[in-house]
Amino acid sequence: MSSLKENMEKLKLYREHNIRYSREITQVWNETISSNIDNLGKEKHIILEQVCIAAIDCYQLKIAEKCIHELYKEFPNSSRIRILESMYHEADENFNRALQILNDIVKKDITNSAARKRKIAICKALGRNTEAIKELVEYLKIFMADVEAWQELSELYISEHEYSKAAFCVEELILHNPHNHLLHQRYADIRYSQGGMENIELARTYYNQSYKLNPKNIRALYGSYLTTTALLNSQKVSGKKKDAAVKVVDWCLKEIKKRYSEVKVSEIEESLSALEI
Amino acid sequence: MSADLIVDPQIRFWVFLPIVVITFLVGILRHYASILLSSQKKVEMQQLADSQLLLRARALRENSGYIPKNSFLMRKQAFNKEDGYLMQKRPPVTQNMMTDPSMMTDMLKGNLTNVLPMIIIGGWINWVFSGFITTKVPFPLTLRFKPMLQRGIELSHLDASWVSSASWYFLNVFGLRSIYTLVLGENNAADQSRQMQEQMQMTGAASGMPADPKVPFKAEWEALEIMEHQSKLFDAEDVLQE
Repeated sequence: MSSLKENMEKLKLYREHNIRYSREITQVWNETISSNIDNLGKEKHIILEQVCIAAIDCYQLKIAEKCIHELYKEFPNSSRIRILESMYHEADENFNRALQILNDIVKKDITNSAARKRKIAICKALGRNTEAIKELVEYLKIFMADVEAWQELSELYISEHEYSKAAFCVEELILHNPHNHLLHQRYADIRYSQGGMENIELARTYYNQSYKLNPKNIRALYGSYLTTTALLNSQKVSGKKKDAAVKVVDWCLKEIKKRYSEVKVSEIEESLSALEI
Repeated sequence: MSADLIVDPQIRFWVFLPIVVITFLVGILRHYASILLSSQKKVEMQQLADSQLLLRARALRENSGYIPKNSFLMRKQAFNKEDGYLMQKRPPVTQNMMTDPSMMTDMLKGNLTNVLPMIIIGGWINWVFSGFITTKVPFPLTLRFKPMLQRGIELSHLDASWVSSASWYFLNVFGLRSIYTLVLGENNAADQSRQMQEQMQMTGAASGMPADPKVPFKAEWEALEIMEHQSKLFDAEDVLQE
């Protein structure tokens, strides 16, 4: 049992770094905070919100209910807490009620982006991807610079196999964050999946870019191996270019082999087993 | 010579320190008064969309080198064509600024918490503590600083590094700002519970949006119009083998 103060520090750390350790947070709540709600001081409300979201994550609806109740006592008209309430209903799979609350909020304050996002999340949870896409497009017409929304949209499009549209979204992400190697890699993935000589050429450029930004990115390395091989197999490549491409392929293979020889098999197995949920 | 000038220690206790304390406390008071008086700012939908649009256009302009040329041209077209995003017609906003009552109350509150105390306290300090030399800056200054540092004392032979009481007050008003952030930043109790009630508003550029979108739109339009696409991606061939 650690002290209240230590736990509060811990929660603050999670908040500041945006870490979603929901299980730990609910554990902390059970240990110390639930019996000390009134001793939290200034951080009381923000902690309650944090715990509430964590509890919803873990399907601990009793805790969430208590948090929402406490918060409502203080701020009976806050839309931020109404969103929490809708999330509670969402977790309870009472989607109609949640949607109703969110629609109310949006009606009252059309600029409330959080409520709109929750609505899209509900669509997604219900498996209505096309509807979610429609809503998200509407949302992005207003909140054009919302990077998260663009990312979500690109993922939705990928799940619907609309690669060119997904590529557009990822381009938007790259514009806002041009030095993230994962975005470049994602863009290359999409272009590679699209197929066609031009797209594969593009994919190759972006895999290289991604690799250049982060030389540890082995997926990008493998990607450029694949794309360059694909280029070699096509008819149109001229002699000189071909030589260079052969060199690149050789180098990529060598590099990948070298990387794998550096790590032990057991480590790879470990990380692979971590992937299997 | 000014070096021989010896200031009465009583001045330290009855002028120098009181001015510091008074300005500090007034600052604290003003902070809490503004919290009490602050009203929630309603963000206009159109304004929000406009500022987001500008953000996006700026991102496009700055980082266009990282997307393929086709994609850039497509976006440029969408922003800049005849009825593109940046060419939309907007009703002029500036006119109704004075007639909008909420704007007026906002301005009034701003005045109430910022300008009025400044005038009243400043005048009062000037009246009560006028005519004292309070302190000396530890470095020599040229004569040009005299009107700034020796307000209220018209002595042509006094060394410029002496500071008069009225000027000391002004130095405090501007100099205590970082101390306020230190003190008031630490206990954001008021701030945090206020944030709870606020909806999650878009911060940054959204709130600092100028009233008339036409001007920044035009500037952004022009900047985009003259832009050429220049790829910033690494050359595909030689990247890997370095």
